Amino acid sequence: MGNFPLNGLRILDFSWIIAGPTAARHLALMGAEVIKIGSSRRPDPSSRGAAFQVYNQSKEYCSLNLSTPQGLEIAKELVTTCDVVIENFAAGVFERIGLDYETLIALRPDVILVSSAGTGHTGPDKDYVAYGSLLQHYTGWNTISGYGKDEPIRGGLWADPWVGMELAMITVAAINHRMKTGKGQYIDFSMAESLTASIPAGLLEYQITNQLPTPIGNDDVIKSPHGLYKCKGYDAWIAISIQNEVQWGSLCKLLDIPKILNSSNCSSPKARQENKVEIDQEINKFTSSLGNYEAMDIFQNHGIPSGPSLNISEAYSDPHNTHSGYLAPQIYPDGATRLMPGMPWKTEESEPVHVIPAPQIGDSNHRIYMELMGMSSDAYQECIRNQIIY
Amino acid sequence: MTDSQDTSILDGLRVLEIGLGVSAPYAALNFAKLGAEVVKLEPLEGDPSRTHGPFPNGIKHKEKSGLFLAYNHGKKSICLDLNISQDRDKFESMLPHFDLVIENQNLGFFNDRRLGYKKISSINPSLIWVSILPFGEVGPYSQYVADDLVLFHMSGNAHGMIGPVDNPEVEPPIRAGGYQAEMVAGLTASTAAMVAMHQRLKTGKGCKIVVSGLDSMITMAISGIANSAFGQQPTTRELSKEKGSSIGGMVSAIGGVLKCNDGYVAISPREDSQWERWLELMGNPRWADDERFATRENRQTNVSALWELLTEWSLPRSKFDIARSGQEKRIPCFPVNTIEDLLADEHLAYREFFVEIAHFDAGILLHPGLPYKLNNTNIPQGISSAPRLGSHTQEILERCT
Repeated sequence: MGNFPLNGLRILDFSWIIAGPTAARHLALMGAEVIKIGSSRRPDPSSRGAAFQVYNQSKEYCSLNLSTPQGLEIAKELVTTCDVVIENFAAGVFERIGLDYETLIALRPDVILVSSAGTGHTGPDKDYVAYGSLLQHYTGWNTISGYGKDEPIRGGLWADPWVGMELAMITVAAINHRMKTGKGQYIDFSMAESLTASIPAGLLEYQITNQLPTPIGNDDVIKSPHGLYKCKGYDAWIAISIQNEVQWGSLCKLLDIPKILNSSNCSSPKARQENKVEIDQEINKFTSSLGNYEAMDIFQNHGIPSGPSLNISEAYSDPHNTHSGYLAPQIYPDGATRLMPGMPWKTEESEPVHVIPAPQIGDSNHRIYMELMGMSSDAYQECIRNQIIY
Repeated sequence: MTDSQDTSILDGLRVLEIGLGVSAPYAALNFAKLGAEVVKLEPLEGDPSRTHGPFPNGIKHKEKSGLFLAYNHGKKSICLDLNISQDRDKFESMLPHFDLVIENQNLGFFNDRRLGYKKISSINPSLIWVSILPFGEVGPYSQYVADDLVLFHMSGNAHGMIGPVDNPEVEPPIRAGGYQAEMVAGLTASTAAMVAMHQRLKTGKGCKIVVSGLDSMITMAISGIANSAFGQQPTTRELSKEKGSSIGGMVSAIGGVLKCNDGYVAISPREDSQWERWLELMGNPRWADDERFATRENRQTNVSALWELLTEWSLPRSKFDIARSGQEKRIPCFPVNTIEDLLADEHLAYREFFVEIAHFDAGILLHPGLPYKLNNTNIPQGISSAPRLGSHTQEILERCT
């Protein structure tokens, strides 16, 4: 299987929905062998939608009914062959299934158990029922965004993919630690804390100023002009951010607005913020007759940081993302070729990411249970009949 | 549970950060929090975040800027001017003493100063060099300039940040607060660096990694990318056309926020069983039997009327009380916390999440700690405060020459 950085690692992925599967997906793309375990008894809720196809790229997928004693025994036997176990059930569930950390280290002393839950696995609120969208409200993440006038913003689907990447990071750190010390790890991960740790400046702002941070939308505290400007076409906008006086000079020249440039009122970002209405009017006058991409090319050719505000479908279709290699064609079992994402970095020293289409539940049963674990054909068939491999 | 002779998870790792603003400094902060020694190389005038603020009493001071303090504790600071050859020599002499470099300078910064990766790797072949660039090194936009605002908007994430609006022609999409596009690039760089370290443990060789800020942000829209790949169109931003759920997490029958007497509570009794328990919590109001709210589908269709009735109930109540009694009934709900609420949160306090750090000039401040507990390694205790500009220049240079 090629030459990928995480070759040789085997990961048992009990996680479901978004955050855990996404973390395991990242590891799979980098060459780890990821065996996803699920059951038709309680299907992964995300398997209903297209997003499953990305959360589970490059994985093996076995069915196993963990509510049966024999299913649990098979899981335990698998643990002995795995470097990492990932799960993201509500706190306490994995223990109740019978796969607590103490049990796992008895099976494999240097195992790394990655347990992610909404509010972590200790503390008075550890049993709180959580969705990522709610955690964005609980953790203050949403409160620093928006316009700050009306109700809290919706906040997008941010928590899970953010947590997915952080889980991948700390998992690899724990693997490296084990390579050096021989020691495994239990990682008690809190999604809520991960989100709060992603707004450190907001936390300090409150302590330094004694005032709650005010959301500023597309504005900036320092830079000006800075925001979205209307382009030609429905809901078409361009983002422009002037970082320094050279860029401001270029903008004035481009827009042919010397009267603003010459005005001493506009010689600093602060002064420009005070004259925001007039300046924004000039920029809008210029952009409103241009398409958003057309505007980007013009501004960028003058060294001005800018780009279109895209919806996800437009971002997906943007030529840069295929030219850069981030999106690459994949042939799917239905015969269609689709552009699918890899990892957001490149290195010359190793092969590009290992991407194959997401499996369906049970696809790997034969390979894992019979070829890897050496289960006999009779035993395998019996497990299927008894809804253990199920 | 921790073995006293255990060292921290990244003990002995030496990281050199050549970062500005948020992305590279945040990536390096992740390493500092996990116990690596992190040296921050700053230009003579310092990281621009030192002038960003906010400042105590609004008085500018390069050691007291909130943005700088948020991302630079646990580090040492060395000042060098890489525009002059003398300092470049010093820089080269430092390279053998580090395992990992994380930088987010403009494209070409190091090549222009004759410090390209070829030269770097000839000085230290086991060095891992991580560059963060807005668009990577390949592709039509690779020469373009961008920052947090531009990348957030180009990535497809901004259109789902606020709910649908009355008129998308007047109300633009918005970015999230707190420089999230830079945060995402920084987190991605941390992961990439951990993977490179893994490879180095196997081969002994370093490498150069280029993290694309745009690709990092698109990875955050991973669900939407999948939907697009399978031909699904994103939902409209126009309120009158909005029907069902969308890329956003907080959608009508799925959930939303309710106004309370002390702010808002976020609720999501999306499954029928959760909805039943939610009605119980409200004391089974008479309208609950209304056909309009009988199924998830009906609740979605009549979401405005539903939200009005719910708000009538929540308005005189406290967000904390609703969340607590809702959770007692296993209903997914949480208070919409302000920063002030968070710092007083009992659960986070129990987990000792916030870390107190005393800074020479800025005083004692609470910082977010690590969002996870590790049982088999020490988490560094008493992480040092953000460094004064250049305060370790002499110490580092003496060690490296």
